Amino acid sequence: MQLEDDKRKELYRKMVTVRLLEKRVEQLVTAARIPCSGHFGLGQEAVGVGICGPLRYSDYIFGTHRGFAEYIGKGLTPREILSEYYGKATSLSRGRLGQHLLKPEIGIMPLPSSLGSEFGMAVGTALSTKLRGSDQVTVNLFGEGTAGQADFGPSLEMASLWQLPLVFVCNNNQYVELAHYRNVVATEDIAPRAGAYGIPYEIVDGNDIALVYGATAEAVSRARQGEGPMFLEFKTYRRCTHYTGDPGGYQPQEEIEIWVQKDPIDRCRATMMAEGMWTEADEQAMLASIADEIEAAVKFAEESPYPDPATIYEHIYA
Amino acid sequence: MNRRITFIQAVREAFQEEMRRDERVFVMGQDVQAGIFATTSKLVDEFGPARVINTPICESASVGAAVGAAMTGLRPVVQIMFGDFNYLAMEMTANQAGQWHYISDGALKVPMVIETPSGARGGAGYGHSQSLEAAFILPPGLKVAVPATPYDAKGLLKSAIRDDNPVLFFEHRRLLPQRGEVPEEEYLIPLGQADIKRVGSDVTLVAVSVTVHKALAAAEKLSQRGIEVEVIDPRTLVPLDKDTIFQSLQKTYHLVVVEEGRKRGGFGAELAAIAVEEWFDYLDAPVQRLGTISAALPYSPVLEAACIPSEEDIVQAVLRSLGQEE
Ligand SMILES: Cc1ncc(C[n+]2csc(CCOP(=O)(O)OP(=O)(O)O)c2C)c(N)n1
Ligand SMILES: [Mg+2]
Repeated sequence: MQLEDDKRKELYRKMVTVRLLEKRVEQLVTAARIPCSGHFGLGQEAVGVGICGPLRYSDYIFGTHRGFAEYIGKGLTPREILSEYYGKATSLSRGRLGQHLLKPEIGIMPLPSSLGSEFGMAVGTALSTKLRGSDQVTVNLFGEGTAGQADFGPSLEMASLWQLPLVFVCNNNQYVELAHYRNVVATEDIAPRAGAYGIPYEIVDGNDIALVYGATAEAVSRARQGEGPMFLEFKTYRRCTHYTGDPGGYQPQEEIEIWVQKDPIDRCRATMMAEGMWTEADEQAMLASIADEIEAAVKFAEESPYPDPATIYEHIYA
Repeated sequence: MNRRITFIQAVREAFQEEMRRDERVFVMGQDVQAGIFATTSKLVDEFGPARVINTPICESASVGAAVGAAMTGLRPVVQIMFGDFNYLAMEMTANQAGQWHYISDGALKVPMVIETPSGARGGAGYGHSQSLEAAFILPPGLKVAVPATPYDAKGLLKSAIRDDNPVLFFEHRRLLPQRGEVPEEEYLIPLGQADIKRVGSDVTLVAVSVTVHKALAAAEKLSQRGIEVEVIDPRTLVPLDKDTIFQSLQKTYHLVVVEEGRKRGGFGAELAAIAVEEWFDYLDAPVQRLGTISAALPYSPVLEAACIPSEEDIVQAVLRSLGQEE
């Protein structure tokens, strides 16, 4: 499916927002303004942003712990993210969620602390839409390391058996914490595992926003039309360390360099400029506007009050 | 001669000594080669990747693999990176590891350790913060170690590795960087031996893991008001050194128990039940229990702090026990 100009610009802006926001949050974590550690996805922004491109607000996504791409992609704002990360009373969860970003109203479903615990839940939301006769689609995004988790296989089985409107998306960024993925993952590709369960799959360059968008759009439209699940694997690379407390040093510099050359944001900008739909002036205006948005969000989060401890007794049971 | 080393170093020394001593001992878990929280880092340099094994992200199969290896003559230590993730492996731990020795009428043994950093530390959120040690009191066949100091950690881990049963070894994340005295010479601490961390005559205060330090601080404050609290660290919840607690109670007649695990169905519930059942004549006041509220732990540090027992909560519980509430 083609990526229209306006959509491309929208996704481009989102990728840049993700990158700048992650950088800013990293500073805030390091400065102990934000109490949690941060996990970022430098260089892999096209995956999370691109897969949300074809989604509607009513579609469900289960995202990952790494960075903000799918959250910004699905419509969460820097202000919502920052107030959550700060643990402030003005956050959507009034300080309860932190990194576990959530906004069911726009289809952002739980990010479990335990990797892989989303597999079953994603089967459940897809089953629910099918039973309810709705045409919503569920997207389940996870890392290549998480594909080792126990519920991975059974979820593929159920999705295939029941022909659910579920798109599995493996973000293969080649690292699982501090180890190269081949240290703990038996195969180079994850996607062919889906074939064993009768689910069609595709392996795609995850650093090309148009390809990510296109492959996802196909899978989503199949799912929406009742043609069952699909499995996509996007090849990308994590150019940062695992988290803010990780000093790094285990990723070869040459390897990082290769992926700097394939940077998804640079590639998207180059394409847009070559096609005459983007100018240096557009770029500068966009950067300024994103910076304003992020700084306003930081200010808002900084100035918001902490939640009242008395609220801990609310919503213990529904 | 005593040195002061961190909890992390103490644990690593226990690994080194036991792995040198017994080649059946090996370590497995996610990123144990790099050592994500450092207790296992550098072990791979000395013992090689065959004895320091990085596993895929699957807690259930990793614990399962440890059970199988343990049944067939090895002594695995499997690391579960966060205590919370033990629930993913609960089937293997509770239904399998803990039960095969008994139902095989002794034919099988499962000598293994689950090493698991855990606990609340402000800002880690609902699924990386829980103290779940009490969840392992219920299943049969398991032992549960909850060291509060580097000294205890080293001595208990060495005993846990040598024990012929599955042992859960909880390391509170707030304790990992703390320093304490640890002798150069080898020593072991038997599983099932409590330690009196402070002597006192007015109230027996049993504290688990990180709360030992809060209890000691509370005891210090209370002492300034003329109340002498005896702080007992059980060090293992199973087996439980009831004798040491009972001896203290025979002196104080007042029992307070504190843990960071949830109060409902927690270790305090078990201890209070034992007290009522076995030591009824030695209770001059209701047992006071402190633990975390039965809610998901919220992320915001101000909320988290409100959910878990504080030093001040302990002071108040001791005063309540003595009928001196403020
Ligand atoms: C059940 C569970 N085990 C372990 C962890 C700790 N952990 C957090 S991120 C991570 C690595 C995940 O690797 P991958 O799936 O490739 O995703 P990536 O971080 O590369 O995006 C691990 C092991 C966890 N959160 N949940
Ligand atoms: Mg990865």
